[in-house]
Amino acid sequence: MMDRWERIDEVIGRMEQALLVTLLSALILVAFSQIILRNFFSTGIAWGDALVRCLVLWTGFIGATIAAREGKHICIDVFSQWLSPKGKKFAAIIIDVFSFLICCFLTYAALKFIHNEFQMKGIAFLGIPSWVSEIILPLTFSLMAFRYFFYFLKGVLMVNQREREK
Amino acid sequence: MILFLVIFALFLLMLLGAPLFIVISGLTLCLLFSGQIDSSAMIIEMHRMATTPILVAIPLFTFAGYLLSESGAPKRLIRLSNAILGWLPGGVSMIALLTCAVFTALTGATGLTIIAMGGILFPAMLKGKYPESFSLGLLTTSGTLGLLFPPSLPLIIYAIVAKVRIDELFLGGILPGILLILLLALFCFNKAIAVKVPRTGFNVPEVFRAVKDSIWELPLPVVVLGGIYGGYFVVSEAAAITAAYVLVVEVFIYRDIKWRDLPRLMKESMVLVGGILIILGAALGLTNYLIDAELPMRTLDFLKAHIASPFLFLIMLNFFLLAVGCIMGMFPALTVVVPLITPVAQAYGIHPVHLGIIFLANLEIGASIPPLGINLFISSIRFNKPILSLYFASLPFIGILLIGLAIITYLPWLSLAFLK
Repeated sequence: MMDRWERIDEVIGRMEQALLVTLLSALILVAFSQIILRNFFSTGIAWGDALVRCLVLWTGFIGATIAAREGKHICIDVFSQWLSPKGKKFAAIIIDVFSFLICCFLTYAALKFIHNEFQMKGIAFLGIPSWVSEIILPLTFSLMAFRYFFYFLKGVLMVNQREREK
Repeated sequence: MILFLVIFALFLLMLLGAPLFIVISGLTLCLLFSGQIDSSAMIIEMHRMATTPILVAIPLFTFAGYLLSESGAPKRLIRLSNAILGWLPGGVSMIALLTCAVFTALTGATGLTIIAMGGILFPAMLKGKYPESFSLGLLTTSGTLGLLFPPSLPLIIYAIVAKVRIDELFLGGILPGILLILLLALFCFNKAIAVKVPRTGFNVPEVFRAVKDSIWELPLPVVVLGGIYGGYFVVSEAAAITAAYVLVVEVFIYRDIKWRDLPRLMKESMVLVGGILIILGAALGLTNYLIDAELPMRTLDFLKAHIASPFLFLIMLNFFLLAVGCIMGMFPALTVVVPLITPVAQAYGIHPVHLGIIFLANLEIGASIPPLGINLFISSIRFNKPILSLYFASLPFIGILLIGLAIITYLPWLSLAFLK
């Protein structure tokens, strides 16, 4: 059961990375060509700036989900160095389940935001509705919720296994 | 009562190592819920922040910084400054100071400098007969030196959070940054004479060779700074040029970075950006709520009742920010504390740009202060030394930086000289 989850997490991780590389390359390319066009040809892509902002939003938030996968979110780690290995595992389980809950609330809030944007019928650029470019927000939070839940389960199962072995 | 329990629980979770954006989001959601405000208000803030035009600069500069730190640029930079400054008494230590400052300004990410430069500078200083403890202290505290110089990431983030004009903030940081470096350089000069560090001669052909070696990277600061100050392009455009230029130079010309390394570097840099962005978003939601609840104004009323002079206020601010920089770290402190303090400080008549420079100088020094300053931990891992020895090694440097901090704080002219 866990193996399958592990594989799903890995596949999603690889997709995220591929998407991230594509979007960041596009970001550099579009932002740079805008400058060239503006300064040397005194023109520019009309929707270029909006696209660049959208790309920043996407690369940033995809980076945040990968940070959740790799445990690289910024945190203040004061106590953990004085905890025993067992205490550390216990703390990790609590933190994961708490992070899972908060990410669920954030997903809910982001979905409500998207719902409102959908009703406002705003346009981001090139006829693309705003809510499409903003969909990355609920996507990010739900994916992080999934990850924290998965790490929580993994932590609990590992502790259980250890107890049984004893 | 329940709210206090929640805050206490969140505080405990934060100290246990919960991701900061989770803690901040949790607090914000609680406050919004108890105030019966729709939770999507927080997402609106997050989205508004993430699509600010100036924010474009952050992923681009960060990626360029990761490329530079992974390439041979640190080595070439050190070689060049060694050729130019190596003959001075204390030359190697001054090179360490200067190159660390330039590098931190360009990469903006604290910690990267210690990791990228430390590996070359630490052996070089030991070889130059500097005492080990002195070398460790210097490299640890220099890790954040340079944050006051454009286009460093914390300067950009401060400008976004405090709504200060970024070009003015860039100008404001120059003199205070130079002051801190000069003070440390003076200390190095004294130390080098005291312990009789051997000197090397000035070698003209080596200068030419070193310049030729780094000829492609030398235009970078000129293009970035000249472009911004000359009014040729705005900061986000400078970031785009830097990213594209560094990419071409390091991958095609120097070939320090292989194609297959690019995806990994992109991922690593964007993980940092994502981590900062999400805290920034969550913190803006929180601080907006607190400002609506008039927390800064109530703090101000309380402070005004007890502290009359701006002078006393600044002393308090210094102690507070040093502690915050030491405990919370640069980015969380910038995002959470700045919006709450700026209205209070303005009421005391402190110029927004001067306040920004005070903030960054405090946080920069706080990052090296025991027991929790992040630089100490990074150095401990990088140089494989016990954390306690780094505490002692960095103390004299912190003392000198604090003198500099006092001058920066009580001499607003330093920060504002270029503005008018």
